[in-house]
Amino acid sequence: MSAASTPGAPPHPLSEPGIRPLRVALMSFAHVHAAGYARLLQTMPNIELRASDPDGGNEPGERRGQDLADDLGVSYVDSYAELLAWQPDAVIVTSENARHRPLVEAAARAGAAVLCEKPLATTLEDALAMQAACDAADVTLMTAYPVRFSPAFARLRELAGTGGLGTLLAATGTNNGQIPVGDRAWFTDPELSGGGAMVDHIVHVADLLDALTGLVPVTVRAVANRILHADKPEVRAETGGLVTIGYAGGFVATIDCSWSQPDNAPTWGGLTLQVVGTLGIADIDPFAQHVGGTTPDGAVFLAYGTNTDALLLNEFVHAVRAGRARQPDGAAGIRSLKIVLAAQESARTGEVVSIR
Amino acid sequence: MNIGLIGAGGITHVHIPAWLALGANVTVFSLEGAAESAAQYGIAVADSLDDLLGACDVVDICTPTPTHYRLVERALRAGKHVICEKPITLNTTDADALAELAAFVGKQLHPAHVVRYFAEYSLAQSAVAAGQIGEPAILRFSRIGEFPSWAGWFADEAQSGGIVLDQMIHDLDIARWIAGEVTEVYAVKNSADGCETAQVVLTHERGALSYVTGVWGAPGTTFATSFSIAGSSGVLKHDSRTDASLRFDLGSPASGGHSMRPDTSFGESPYLTELREFAAATLGGAAPRVNLDDATRAVELAAAANESIASGRSVRVASQAVPA
Repeated sequence: MSAASTPGAPPHPLSEPGIRPLRVALMSFAHVHAAGYARLLQTMPNIELRASDPDGGNEPGERRGQDLADDLGVSYVDSYAELLAWQPDAVIVTSENARHRPLVEAAARAGAAVLCEKPLATTLEDALAMQAACDAADVTLMTAYPVRFSPAFARLRELAGTGGLGTLLAATGTNNGQIPVGDRAWFTDPELSGGGAMVDHIVHVADLLDALTGLVPVTVRAVANRILHADKPEVRAETGGLVTIGYAGGFVATIDCSWSQPDNAPTWGGLTLQVVGTLGIADIDPFAQHVGGTTPDGAVFLAYGTNTDALLLNEFVHAVRAGRARQPDGAAGIRSLKIVLAAQESARTGEVVSIR
Repeated sequence: MNIGLIGAGGITHVHIPAWLALGANVTVFSLEGAAESAAQYGIAVADSLDDLLGACDVVDICTPTPTHYRLVERALRAGKHVICEKPITLNTTDADALAELAAFVGKQLHPAHVVRYFAEYSLAQSAVAAGQIGEPAILRFSRIGEFPSWAGWFADEAQSGGIVLDQMIHDLDIARWIAGEVTEVYAVKNSADGCETAQVVLTHERGALSYVTGVWGAPGTTFATSFSIAGSSGVLKHDSRTDASLRFDLGSPASGGHSMRPDTSFGESPYLTELREFAAATLGGAAPRVNLDDATRAVELAAAANESIASGRSVRVASQAVPA
């Protein structure tokens, strides 16, 4: 819930008179989150939104470019050059995973703060270059890890931070979803997505563990398979995976990153994290809140949990206004990307991979 | 049927009532606590192991793991069928030796992997075997309880094999039961302040991957199990914390539901189901759903996991099907 909608709360700082609108540019509609971000930004006060999606429209049946902008009621320009010439204060990059770098670099050169969709990049080289570009331009880089803003995670952090769980020993994370085919074909093309289920679903849990423990991962061991969705010819990467991470000091964690939510399930999937400490065990399930039931079409899942995307965007907008970095930043994006890359290497070689 | 039960620890409090409900005569022998057991259940006490072996047809071994090998050996050599608690032994060499001995003396040796007799696991296995979720792909199993501080030997890894061999062996067995033989094992473990937890990843021959985790947690930790089995055409899930037909809140923290075992009081005790199946087999009936080879393979998986924990590397599990 935003402060502006709370009765009796002070007025939203961004709606105070005299503050000029914040210009936010949306680069690419490749990622399915682009439309959601656009809708949320439209509800936030004192924001001007403009988008461009010059690479869209090649895949049949995908609504992209001017068409999607019209659906959303978002102002649209035909090229990124035109978009950046508008001198946005902030840019949100929602291109294909492997195409983040040129857009982030261009946005940084144009002096805009950047929020980049996860994973930050598909190679460490790209991620470091993006961070360097933002540092050189002295602009903020944030990574879109909305689950960090889950109130359940905030409570877990508080509990762990005040010693309520004792010494943290281990964690089990799951991020299981439906396979992202249909809406956007590139998700299952490793050239553009950077891989399969591992690149898609390790980072959120890895980032939560990073934020929760502050511990440094030292070893990664992963196994993957392609039994799920083996009947879908468009799937060209692993669909199931188990990733085990050893941290400095002995903490251990395993993440199930599989696309194991069946196509006919009533919801997209979810994320869970169980943390084991010497004083107790805590479980979070940030997407659990829902009304369930059955309609003539089958099982239904009416979710009502906190919209963490809205909280993430709010944090980003405040970071831009304040002109300083907020979490999760580019460094957080790089740390979790290193785990993904190590997991991919481990699954490929069968070895336990050390990371630095 | 005359049962000679050895031991007086925790598990005997579910085995003895099950035997009595099955109409068996039970005689108990234990270095400690036999008289109390006898008084509690109205059963006979043997003064020595020889007396016990002289008074029974089937021996039920409910003692700490490191004593299993010698006791099973004694009972088999005395010509008795034997039921032995899991893990059958601390290593596969001992298990293989017992298998040879059982074959030599022509007696049955049944490993008490009771989780196969819990309805949720047995149902899931049947459903997967019937193809209801297609080919198993990614499986997860979790088992959480308080640290077994009621007997000192659990905390001594040399005697118990730690959480992997003592507790997680249940789910290692179930993962293999459902997803088939295992070719590779990787495991990690962490412990502090009287708590112990481990995580094991199995690569199955048919391609499935299983994650097994166990927790021996803080005193008062409520016993809980869960699993999720994702296959090529569906998913099966169970969680003892939410899939229970009774939950209560009596308003007092002291009334917490912690227990070393799940509450199975709403149906037939799975311990009874297990012992009935073993007893029927000793009388010439059908082979039980779990056999000595399963138990040996489970010990092999647990030993491989402990080896992986020690070395930090994954461990190949030797191919089984190479009889000379």
